[in-house]
Amino acid sequence: MGVAVRTDREGDRASIVPTGSFDLAHATAVVTAVERTEASLGGCRSVNVDLSQLDRIDGAGAVLLARLLDRLDANECATRLVEGRNTNAERLIALYRERRGDRPAPQRSAMSSLDRIGASAAELPGKAYAALDFIGRYAATLPKITAKPDSVDWGSLPRLMQEIGAQALLVTSAANLLVGVIVGFLGVSQLGRFGAVSYVPELVVVAHFRELGPLVTAIVVAGRSGAGLASEIATMQVSEEIDALRSMGFDPLRWLVVPRCLALAATVPLLTWVGDGVALIGGMAATLSITQMTARAYAQATMYAITPAHLVAGLVKSPFLGFAIGLIACCQGLLARGGAAAVGARTTTAVVLAIFSVIVISAVFTFFLVLIGV
Amino acid sequence: MPLLKPHITVDDLSIGWGARILMEHVSFQVERGTVFAILGGSGCGKSSLLRYLIGLEQPQAGRIEIDGVGEPHRYEGIPPFGVLFQSGALFSSMTLAENLALPLTAWTPIRGAVVWELVQAKLNLVGLGAFAEHLPGEISGGMKKRAGIARALMLEANLLFFDEPTAGLDPISAVELDQLILTLSRDLGITMVIVTHELPSIFLVAAQCIVLDLAAKGIVARGDPRKLRDESEIPFVHNFFTRSSPAVSASQGG
Repeated sequence: MGVAVRTDREGDRASIVPTGSFDLAHATAVVTAVERTEASLGGCRSVNVDLSQLDRIDGAGAVLLARLLDRLDANECATRLVEGRNTNAERLIALYRERRGDRPAPQRSAMSSLDRIGASAAELPGKAYAALDFIGRYAATLPKITAKPDSVDWGSLPRLMQEIGAQALLVTSAANLLVGVIVGFLGVSQLGRFGAVSYVPELVVVAHFRELGPLVTAIVVAGRSGAGLASEIATMQVSEEIDALRSMGFDPLRWLVVPRCLALAATVPLLTWVGDGVALIGGMAATLSITQMTARAYAQATMYAITPAHLVAGLVKSPFLGFAIGLIACCQGLLARGGAAAVGARTTTAVVLAIFSVIVISAVFTFFLVLIGV
Repeated sequence: MPLLKPHITVDDLSIGWGARILMEHVSFQVERGTVFAILGGSGCGKSSLLRYLIGLEQPQAGRIEIDGVGEPHRYEGIPPFGVLFQSGALFSSMTLAENLALPLTAWTPIRGAVVWELVQAKLNLVGLGAFAEHLPGEISGGMKKRAGIARALMLEANLLFFDEPTAGLDPISAVELDQLILTLSRDLGITMVIVTHELPSIFLVAAQCIVLDLAAKGIVARGDPRKLRDESEIPFVHNFFTRSSPAVSASQGG
């Protein structure tokens, strides 16, 4: 069905007759017809609108006609609907005419890329403040816990350790195994050039026990459990569950955050320990597959290489890494405001921050351990 | 207008999950241009029935026809109806204007300023003209519901489904929303199907209704809600419309 607006003009008076289907399906044609009509009515003082030739009209068509009439009226061109010809169309158009109370739509302006960079830079101090504020409040709750141990949900600790720790065993072990294999291959290819393949077991032990084991385990846990924790708490925050906890007198920091941080601090060292063992197997498999070394010789060299210092240097930082992951994930979760989009954004931030912090904390530990000669 | 075919025909519908039957042998018709209410106590399956009507679930047996086309769960293309969900179900990452523009840009070739003109007109219609650039998180519950109605109207559907439109609203907001529903029904000629248990709303807006009961697994009464209130002899229906509880009346009766 064609869409057109017939215009008859005599001097500064005109009559317009919209014909055809003024509906959503023909909206583009309606827009063109309306624009053409408006252009041809320049300088008119009065316009009669005859709706009798309309085949069909719906809300979209009525809006476009109503806006035409609004604009004509605003340009001092009196519009008048010829009444009684099509009451349905008249009623629809009247419904969408601009009322005095309607405020004009705000201008939509897109931010330029420079504006966006500025805006995100301006947000940084606020974000840093929020993080520091959270850490401060967390520190302040610790003495309260000793005074009132019941305010922590201790009952959930075993379940949390199972969910965010034990269930990650498979993926952390797999990651550690592969890293062990990689270090083994690298050791053979590099040390082999000097005929020092017999030092590969020691390389695997030192590299993995001291640095790679805790780091790889913590990064995998940050990606897996950190994301899970952040999205869980962010969802609780946006669905007012955190507010409900507060209203019932629970402190969400003590009730939710403390058990999660403790669960991670307790399980990440265990995961690291298992990962260290698996990595030794990976390193051995890699070495034995491309050298003449016997399994017995490799195992003996490994036993000699493992010292309490290496073991402690790695495991001492694991609880801190786990604790940091929990703290960051819960903090980001609690900071979520809004809806589904906020949950996604906070989860992403939590994982990025957790992985970054894990690396930084690990580096700081290494620095101090080297300084004190461990 | 008995000559017109009914807008919705539900014939011998059975719904449920697996062996658990929620309702069976449900049949009713919704006439074009009327406000039709689906009533019943909490947990009787009102909202579930709505999910089947809008094609989110596949019925176990029976037939649903909307505008003569059956099997709403198989619809593809522009949906022939708009839906207002209980909380408005606006996308939280988008402004109200973007929420309303989404169906237009997805289903029609309309682009540019015209989209915002249509969006603004719908927002004005529900009284939210000044809130186009607000995020759903920044407006009240009643406003979210009105924005949800505006979004449901964007594709000019002549059938709207409402899931508990006035639940959780203050009396003034609730009556304003009822008035909006009446205005839309009268001025736009839209057929409305409303799931609710708010008595004042029912008597104000609904011309016809069905009453569902969990124990009966189906419809226990149908007709004009005002007549049902005054004339029904079924105890459940009488209690429902007069807000009385069998337990309370028994204890008061001695």
